[in-house]
Amino acid sequence: MEVPQKTKNRTTLQPSNCTTKHLSTGYRCAVSKGHMHPHVYSSTINNSQSMERAQIFSTVSHHREALGEYLDGKKESEEDQSKSYKQKEESRLKLAKLLLCGTELVTNIQVAADIREIHRRVEEGEIRRQRLEKLENEVKTSQDKFDEITMKWEEGKRKRIPQDLWDMLNTQQVHCAGLIEDKNKLIGELQQELKTKDDQYVKDLKKQSDDICLLLERMEEQVKNVMKTFRQELSSIEKAFEVERRELLTSNKKKWERALQAHNAKELEYLLSRIKKVEDYEKQLNKQRVWDCEEYNTIKIKLEQDVQILEQQLQQMKATYQLNQEKLEYNFQVLKKRDEESVVIKSQQKRKISRLHDILNNLRSKYTKQIRQFQEENQSLTSDYIRLVTQFKELQKAMRHFALLDDKRFREIWLMNEEEAKDLISKAFDVDRIIHTQHLGLPWTAPDFWFLRNVGPISQQQQRSATQILEEVLIQTEEEGTEEATSEAESYLDLPKQVSMKTTRKILMLLCDESGFLIESKLLSLLRPLEKSECYLLKLDAIFSALGIESEDDLYKLVNFFLKYRVHHSPSSQVIHPGSFLQISPWNLSLPQEQTSLMSALDPGEQTDLERQKEESLVGGEPEEKEVPPSPTLIHPNDVLKILEAFVMGLRKPRDPPAPVKVVKYVRDTSKDSAYWEAMATVIPYATQNLWDALYTALEKYHFVLTQRAKLLIENNSLEKQNTELQMLLQQYLDSKINSELHVPPTQVLRAPTK
Amino acid sequence: MQATVATPTSSALSRFSISTQDKSSTAGQTSSTGPQPSRPSIIPPRSKSKGWSTGASGGRMRRIIAEDPEWSLAIVPLLTELCIQHIVKNFQNNPILKQLLPEHKQKVLDHLSPDLPLAVTANLIDDESYWRRCCTQRWPVCHVAKHGGSWKRMFFERHLENLLKHFIPSTTDPALILDLLPLCRNYVRRLRVDQFLPPMKLPPRPRSGELSDSGSEAEVEEPATDHYQLEDLVAGLSHLEELDLVYGVKDCGMNFEWNLFLFTYRDCHSLAATIKACHTLKIFRLTRSKVDDDKARILIRSLLDHPALEELDLSHNLVGDRGARAAAKLLSHSRLRVLNLANNQVRALGAQSLAHALAHNTNLISLNLRLNCIEDEGGQALAHALQTNRCLTTLHLGGNELSEPTATLLSQVLAVNTTLTSINLSCNHIGLDGGKQLLEGMSDNRTLLEFDLRLSDVAQESEYLIGQALCANREAARQRAPNPSCFMSPITAKGPENPAG
Repeated sequence: MEVPQKTKNRTTLQPSNCTTKHLSTGYRCAVSKGHMHPHVYSSTINNSQSMERAQIFSTVSHHREALGEYLDGKKESEEDQSKSYKQKEESRLKLAKLLLCGTELVTNIQVAADIREIHRRVEEGEIRRQRLEKLENEVKTSQDKFDEITMKWEEGKRKRIPQDLWDMLNTQQVHCAGLIEDKNKLIGELQQELKTKDDQYVKDLKKQSDDICLLLERMEEQVKNVMKTFRQELSSIEKAFEVERRELLTSNKKKWERALQAHNAKELEYLLSRIKKVEDYEKQLNKQRVWDCEEYNTIKIKLEQDVQILEQQLQQMKATYQLNQEKLEYNFQVLKKRDEESVVIKSQQKRKISRLHDILNNLRSKYTKQIRQFQEENQSLTSDYIRLVTQFKELQKAMRHFALLDDKRFREIWLMNEEEAKDLISKAFDVDRIIHTQHLGLPWTAPDFWFLRNVGPISQQQQRSATQILEEVLIQTEEEGTEEATSEAESYLDLPKQVSMKTTRKILMLLCDESGFLIESKLLSLLRPLEKSECYLLKLDAIFSALGIESEDDLYKLVNFFLKYRVHHSPSSQVIHPGSFLQISPWNLSLPQEQTSLMSALDPGEQTDLERQKEESLVGGEPEEKEVPPSPTLIHPNDVLKILEAFVMGLRKPRDPPAPVKVVKYVRDTSKDSAYWEAMATVIPYATQNLWDALYTALEKYHFVLTQRAKLLIENNSLEKQNTELQMLLQQYLDSKINSELHVPPTQVLRAPTK
Repeated sequence: MQATVATPTSSALSRFSISTQDKSSTAGQTSSTGPQPSRPSIIPPRSKSKGWSTGASGGRMRRIIAEDPEWSLAIVPLLTELCIQHIVKNFQNNPILKQLLPEHKQKVLDHLSPDLPLAVTANLIDDESYWRRCCTQRWPVCHVAKHGGSWKRMFFERHLENLLKHFIPSTTDPALILDLLPLCRNYVRRLRVDQFLPPMKLPPRPRSGELSDSGSEAEVEEPATDHYQLEDLVAGLSHLEELDLVYGVKDCGMNFEWNLFLFTYRDCHSLAATIKACHTLKIFRLTRSKVDDDKARILIRSLLDHPALEELDLSHNLVGDRGARAAAKLLSHSRLRVLNLANNQVRALGAQSLAHALAHNTNLISLNLRLNCIEDEGGQALAHALQTNRCLTTLHLGGNELSEPTATLLSQVLAVNTTLTSINLSCNHIGLDGGKQLLEGMSDNRTLLEFDLRLSDVAQESEYLIGQALCANREAARQRAPNPSCFMSPITAKGPENPAG
């Protein structure tokens, strides 16, 4: 199968070699190589084929052992492989070789063209070099000649004889002609070369087209060859596959038959052994059957006996059963009757239950109605209550307002009256003084009474309880939020001025929050449903009662204590013993106020005095405290307990006899008023009044005397006047001419007694 | 199987014939099994005229009639059919396609004429079958695989190339090309222009022989022979990846004039600016265009630090040592993977600079210096470079006047290097001793798959043994990568490399 294919390969290759030969003959220089090399190629190809036939691998192995080994190994493995695989490998190798050879064949043209080009280049270079040399030589020689000619021109100029000059000119002309001829020759040669080059170009063009034709031919041939060989290889591979398949089929068939025979033999063996076994089993079965029959008979007899016994027992049981049935029937009757009775009772009970249910429902509805009613009532009452409370509050507010107004009016009236009274008193005193000094001639000392200095209504600072103040504080701070402008004026009226409401409130809140332990747990549980402010109020009440704070002063003390604590502790931050702090702090405060109390304050023994002074100073030092705006936020909640402790320590000592709890209301104490006014009235004592009465009577008498005297004086005066009038009349008479006419004039008479 | 008759040059065409035949054969079967005998008599008048003509020429009438899938017994066509016909008829004025249902769309596309103006179809139709019809109608040979398997891309690329090829500066309206730009900008990825016509009054086509003669004579006086400037066009093509240019005239034959092949400095500068601005360019080829050292330097300078360039091909030019030095600089300033300087004038100095760049390069995988003259000095330098290089896989040094010293160094390289898979030393003067040394080097190599030593004076025996070693290497490579198409690789590798003899 392989042989004809290879011969075909050779035949296809040979004509192409011929073409290369033919092609290469065209070129002059490449003739020898072009002849040789294609030969070489064909021979190598033939060689390779022959060598392949003679098992190449063995011959090559000494050159390339590794490759040989590799291929040998492959070959060995190939033997294991199937024929088809071998065929595939073989044809693959063959085809690869064919393709390689074909491409080589095609590219041979290119290579040949390359080498031709190289040779042409070399030759061209050589020719160009020669040409250049030639041209250079030519240039040199012509330059020489030209130089000669020019030299001769110089010479000719020197010539004087025309004959010589003519000869020389002739020779010059000849020389020039020679030079031009040389040049022309060169040009001609070059043109000739150009022409040959043109011819060469035409030839080259032709050759190129030939080459291309050849290339195309070869390519076509190559394609055909490849196609053919591929097809052949395909068919051979197919054949190999078929053969292999056939072999495989036959071998498989043989195997199959062998296996079938073995199987048959085995089957037979199995059959025989089976028959034997069946016979054995039959014998065993027979034996077994006989034995079983005997056993069956014996058992049958035994069982029949048993049956008889059991039948007797059955009779007995039937009798007892009858008896039992009668008994049970009687019982059943009894039970039925009972059942009926119970049914009757049941129905009665049921009826009762339904009736009771009805009643229950009625009651329930009533109950709910009542509940609703009560709820409504409750609601209306609560609303009423709330309304009333608000009314009451308003009333209270109004009352407070009116009270204040009343107070004010009262005060005004008081003042007016007092002024009047004082005027009167002063008048009285003036009168008294005048009486004393002028009438009695006694020294008068102005009586010094307390009420004289008093201005306004007498109002003792009544000790309000702490709780009241609390209530006020809380209410007012609450109100402040709503009616700030209106309440401000009144809210500060009866509160110590040094502490603003807010700070007080805040401190109290803090206290309330921090000292919850002082409140009883029961109270706490009771307080829970109340409002916040009320809650606070009650809590604070409890706390104050626990602390022993009762009066208003105590409360302010507490607040001030807090503030002072903050003032003293925040900047210095040193720990002062609570007791000593209490002693120092009031002193510090009262120092600018009362210098006199300094010494007593320093005395630790006079605690009560100190306390009083402190109270005074607290009241007196109100304006100063305002300068330091207290901000309770600066008091740390953790400090509160410390402060409280200190405060309680300080408070307990002066409070040894606990003051009785006063229930003081807003009723003005009018008891002193009457005394006051009485005192006012009796500013002139009875003694002086008596004196005055006596004086009055005496003076009246004196007045009487005086009036008499005045009457008398007036009488006297009138008498004197009469006298003088009479005198005057007398005089007149005397001075009148009558007198002169008279011997004894009355004048003389008159004069005489007067004399 | 009948495709074997077709010529190998038009394999794509043969593929077509196969596919159409397959289609027609299956259709034929259905027709033969079909029970209606009256079918051939009722022929709808709107059946494809093209099908008719081919059917008539092929003499296989019956199959083609049966091929018509729209045929039906109903005499009155459906309204949808009528609408579709109307749409097809008025597609140029009122292109409705996107709004249609898929099946209707397909029908419309099947019936659209390939002669519709591109302005209508270019951005509207993405259907490959339509563009396939356009292509096959216009060109007899279509290698769609060379255009990324997209018929639309192929149509636009070839259309644009055609326009560029026949563009005559100062005669043709440049708007002709620039008008097409918005239509084709999204589809053109490759431009392969193997002809740029010089500006002339008369077309320089070889067919009009006498006219061109007179034209070329008149053209001698014209100093400006600048070609079409690609700047505007390339700037517009946003997906351009490959640029393959030849500044020359094809098929001039005996009307050869040197002026036809002038690549002027102005051309060079504009091209340099063009490729510098094109950041998507991956492959740049400028072959057979008389690019000398200065022009090569201008071009390569513009390619330094190009973000995408992978392949540079300046083969068949006049690049000398200075150009090679510039290329070496480019190697270290770009991610170039393929460098082709075949058939230039690179000598030993240029090769040395290339070798210097290659020694530390990690990108280049293919270097082609065919038909240069680097000689032993350059060859040795390259061999030294290959001892440290770990990236290059393909090296072509054919026709470089190399001889034995290079071969000795290369044999050492072969023993050390494990990345090279293909070396070409054909057309050199390696000599017998050099061949033996190469054989020694090959005995330690396990990676080389191709080693071309043709026409390089190597002894037949050593060449043969080297061939055996290569065979073994190839087997080993095949074992390493069990790919059935492995032994087809030589063809695919050498396929595109056209013989330039």
